[in-house]
Amino acid sequence: MTQAKTAYQKPIPLKDIDNAPYWDAADQHQLALQKCVDCTAYSQPPGPTCAKCGSENVTWEQLGNDIKATVYSYVVSYRPFLPGFQEELPTIIALAQLDKVPEVKIMGNILNCEEKDLAIGMPIQMTWVDITEDRALPQWIPATN
Amino acid sequence: MGTIKDRYAIVGVGESERSRKSGTTPLHLALEAANAAIKDAGLKATDIDGFMNYNEGDSCTSHQLATYLGVRPKYVKDIQGGGASTEMLIADAVALIEAGQLNTVLIYRSMNGSSGTRVGRGYDPDMLQGALAGGSFVIPYGSASPSQWFGMYATRHMHETGITKEHLGHVCLSFYEHAQRNPKAFLHGKPLTMETYLATPDISSPFNIHDSCLELDEGNAIIVTSAEKAKDCVSKPVYIMGMAARQCHPHAHYWNDIDQVASDYVAEELYENAGVTPEDIDVASIYDCFSWVVMRQLEAYGFAKRGEVGDFVAEGNLKIGGKLPTNTAGGMLSEGYTHGMNNAIEIVRQLRHDYEGTDRQVEDCKIGICTGWAGPDIAGAMILRN
Ligand SMILES: [Zn+2]
Repeated sequence: MTQAKTAYQKPIPLKDIDNAPYWDAADQHQLALQKCVDCTAYSQPPGPTCAKCGSENVTWEQLGNDIKATVYSYVVSYRPFLPGFQEELPTIIALAQLDKVPEVKIMGNILNCEEKDLAIGMPIQMTWVDITEDRALPQWIPATN
Repeated sequence: MGTIKDRYAIVGVGESERSRKSGTTPLHLALEAANAAIKDAGLKATDIDGFMNYNEGDSCTSHQLATYLGVRPKYVKDIQGGGASTEMLIADAVALIEAGQLNTVLIYRSMNGSSGTRVGRGYDPDMLQGALAGGSFVIPYGSASPSQWFGMYATRHMHETGITKEHLGHVCLSFYEHAQRNPKAFLHGKPLTMETYLATPDISSPFNIHDSCLELDEGNAIIVTSAEKAKDCVSKPVYIMGMAARQCHPHAHYWNDIDQVASDYVAEELYENAGVTPEDIDVASIYDCFSWVVMRQLEAYGFAKRGEVGDFVAEGNLKIGGKLPTNTAGGMLSEGYTHGMNNAIEIVRQLRHDYEGTDRQVEDCKIGICTGWAGPDIAGAMILRN
């Protein structure tokens, strides 16, 4: 886990009635995914109903904190488009495909990664950055094993 | 929509000055564009009973425009909409005329896109989180620009299909070459070489400044009426053969599945309604907010097979003289960005043979396509003929 050094300037994920369980789990350094009881599809991002079949019968699955994935796609940004990113350029933004649930892809930054090492298919793992007193942001780092 | 084939026409097109800093309001730019389109059609402002516009909260209202044209409009509509809205509003206009509600509709897009509000920039991050579907899963990671949103698609697509940075460069070079033939293009007199293109650093990969549209202050207007009423106009009517007003990605948070785009759903309906195939298209306006967006649409609309689009553009097929002369005024990469409408205006002028006798005219062109891309999430297109 990485501790942010100065006051956090970047946008903080806004919790709402549909996504709160995801961010609440993240604050505890855990991944939770919304899943449909009727058709078993995962919803990422979570929503009011299943985006696959419209069922209101949705639940949450806890996936823990050992989350492995591969890079499905990425961009490298050399300019900040939002506050707080000006200090950490370039910014790597990736779409991570979960090993256990390949149909789910989660966006995040890849930390501790040189641009030259970045590639589609690269193994990564989820980490959590404590950004404020009570909030943590899921992020990705190159897989260690 | 199948039954409207050839029964409606675009009878007038016009634009304002384009600049980095208009020094005036979107209402003034809209008036300038509307008056140009009305003159082009040979109509009086009072012949128009419907006014429509799309905007991002950065324009004037249709009611304002009508008012200052001296018209009491019967119908006004202002929508929040991206770069597939020209096609959708033309379809709406046709439907309202078909329903007997209106006779003639003027559609415009007017914006201080450079000196005023810039699309996709300077928004409040918390507002964006709420405004984007699943925005809280995107914005906290620094992804707030269409270049980053569409770039995520581009990187994967290029990886899968063998499209290279140099291929993107061929899209840019083709359009920049067209801009050199268009004195009103903003980058007229500023040709681009592959060497310069490849040496230009990315802003956000895989896009550098040349891959990105040219945000300017400009107003554009288009007038739509029935084929019957088109006979009263001084312009050559350009008939609407077929449209696919709008199609959507299955998920509003389109990063949910970056292997598909809304444009993939447009082509079948479009060609069926128009009764033509990609081989019949003589000239094209392909929405070009970013170079790769053109590549992805060439695949979606069947102009080149998946995996062969890179070769297609490298062979010069997008240039005047190629198999599919595209964005012949320079497109939004080098003529200027009016959120898609300037590309629609150009296809009308090509099909009317307005450039006859110059190197800008696509010789003997009869059928043209104009595509809209509001993003991977929303698209629409139309096929026109002379
Ligand atoms: Zn379901």
